[in-house]
Amino acid sequence: MDVRGDFPIFQKHPAIIYLDSACTSLKPRSVIEAEAGYYRELGACGGRSSHRLGRLTSDKVDESREEVARFVGAAPEGLIWTRNATEGLNLVALGLDYTARKKVVTTSMEHHAVLLPLMRLNEEGRIRLAIIEPDREGAIGIEAWKKEIDRETALVMTHSWDNVTGLGHPVREISAAAHEAGALICVDGAQGVPHHRTDFRKEQLDFLCFSAHKMLGPSGIGALAARRELLGKLKPLLSGGGTVKTVSGGKSVPMDDQTRFEAGVQHYAGIIGFAEACRYLRKLGMDKVEGHEKELARLIRERLEDAGAAIYGKAGLEGHGALFSFNLEGARPHDLALLLDKEDVALRSGFFCAQPAMEALGAGNGAVRASAYIYNSAEDIRRFGDALEKVRSLYK
Amino acid sequence: MVLCIIAFFVFSVLSIFSAKYRPLARKGFECVFRTVTLRPCDTGLDDQIKAELVSAALKRSPAAARFLNAHFALLSWIFVLLTAASFGYMVVGVYNFYVYGNCDGPNAAGACILNDLTGDYGRFSDPKDLVPPTELNGITVGDPNASVKIVEFGCFTCPYTGKAEPVVKQILEEYNDSVFYVFKPFPLPNHNYSFEAARAVLCANRQGKEWELRDRIFAQQEVCAADGHLALKELARQAGLNMTSFDQCYDGNETGAELAGYVRQGKDAHIYATPTFFINGKAIIGPKPIEEFRSAIEEAK
Repeated sequence: MDVRGDFPIFQKHPAIIYLDSACTSLKPRSVIEAEAGYYRELGACGGRSSHRLGRLTSDKVDESREEVARFVGAAPEGLIWTRNATEGLNLVALGLDYTARKKVVTTSMEHHAVLLPLMRLNEEGRIRLAIIEPDREGAIGIEAWKKEIDRETALVMTHSWDNVTGLGHPVREISAAAHEAGALICVDGAQGVPHHRTDFRKEQLDFLCFSAHKMLGPSGIGALAARRELLGKLKPLLSGGGTVKTVSGGKSVPMDDQTRFEAGVQHYAGIIGFAEACRYLRKLGMDKVEGHEKELARLIRERLEDAGAAIYGKAGLEGHGALFSFNLEGARPHDLALLLDKEDVALRSGFFCAQPAMEALGAGNGAVRASAYIYNSAEDIRRFGDALEKVRSLYK
Repeated sequence: MVLCIIAFFVFSVLSIFSAKYRPLARKGFECVFRTVTLRPCDTGLDDQIKAELVSAALKRSPAAARFLNAHFALLSWIFVLLTAASFGYMVVGVYNFYVYGNCDGPNAAGACILNDLTGDYGRFSDPKDLVPPTELNGITVGDPNASVKIVEFGCFTCPYTGKAEPVVKQILEEYNDSVFYVFKPFPLPNHNYSFEAARAVLCANRQGKEWELRDRIFAQQEVCAADGHLALKELARQAGLNMTSFDQCYDGNETGAELAGYVRQGKDAHIYATPTFFINGKAIIGPKPIEEFRSAIEEAK
């Protein structure tokens, strides 16, 4: 997959080996241009102003909503713009009514964006939180889910792909188990949507949250795809301009559609850039993206094993994305990342906003994470491996 | 954690000149503050510094990089202590400059610098400012008609005038018949009892025993600076002076006017350090190797 030329950042930093895409991805020229295009050619408010620039902006936002919804196989009518996946997850967790059922099931492998709002609700006594622990390899089988999801369960929240181990979750089966028990499922697609074909309908999801910036799009914009009929069950996090039909006599009438969740003037440039990122990936083909990353995953694992790194998560490559967390004996993760940076390798170190997951995996002091994407090549991984060997020599 | 202490000082100074160092200075301060409040430093600044240094070493010598990486904390402490010591010396230097007019203090290598920042003395600090004296009066040795004339402005309680003394004697011995040597006392105000010592030697000169006393004063400079009149009189006694005449001369300040004349000549010559020699007008400042004197004398012949 030769797309490196589409990414202007490599002109500025030709030597960099960017392996921090799980944190945020780099942006292709077309996305940058699309975002800048809003400021150059539109520049107005969407859904409000009736002048021609306002109308053009509204059209572009609607068009973008269709493109983004289409990318994940969801209906545009159920797609809500959020700032990022975190906001979408908070909107679902905090916006549902837990009067009839109080139980929420999740795992300790989740990102803080899932765990923290649920922990808050649990502390406030609004929900009863059930946290499934993984096995020593960070995996959670469907049986564990089925055991925990019951008729008391209101909501199941989990990720489709893990941002610590790089492993995929059996989302479709979890979804089936949730629905069988009459519960809703909300999937954190922050790591899944950018790298794997995601189909909201086929996977029978109720809510899917994802961020543009992890999938070649701009930062500051994300989406919550929801089943349209569930929108009425969600309480908005924010209220304000654009969310109501009328406000009069101390009473307001909210909008019927998803715009009642989109308070205030939106990040139009980001929305347009987000749609362009989806278009770019769709044109590339998500099957090709997955295939490319599968090969990168094989190479990364090989080089990590050659360097004697301790890799967190399941051995082997089955159900594994091009994302690995690891440590080298005797080296502090932060030191490793800084030293590899000096060798032009960009990696992340720490807890990856998933401290309970790291502790469950036995990485209580953190780890280093290498996460690849479409712009990485076999040559990048070879150079990463060489740099790792060089740095490892410091700890022999 | 350790390097943050240095980083804080270094980046604070750099911050004065460039805003880009201010966030680093702030990080350094936070780290120092956390350290002194017995909390671990969490700014990551020291980690960044470590990575920079280890990586730079790795490019040159993997073995050195390994050593640095393995013993970074210890090496950091050594570096910090050396820096602290260096900072301490700097403070002492500033103090010396304030008190003695030079950074090395009263025992500085080089010369005793005048410390009269507000008076006439302090106006000059460069050899090119010096004006050779025309008057050849003072404590003299040799033939006034000799082709080479050496004039020394010196202070009897200045360690460097004392340090130059053996060279002066050696020169006078070597060039016995071809140089005329003139010593003009130029007491420095920042040396205790320097004026008194000068007056004492001038009194001894009246008895023809200036060298006897002068040698003793140079040998006992610290005692003279501490005990003043008592020490000078005791040394005069040891030099075999007639103490009645000496006391009369010294206590009566009979040589005060003469000394004032030499001081005026020194000021006119723009002397700013002792000893200062003029060899047929060519200036030599401070105790210098004898070769330098020989060379100047040969040149002057």
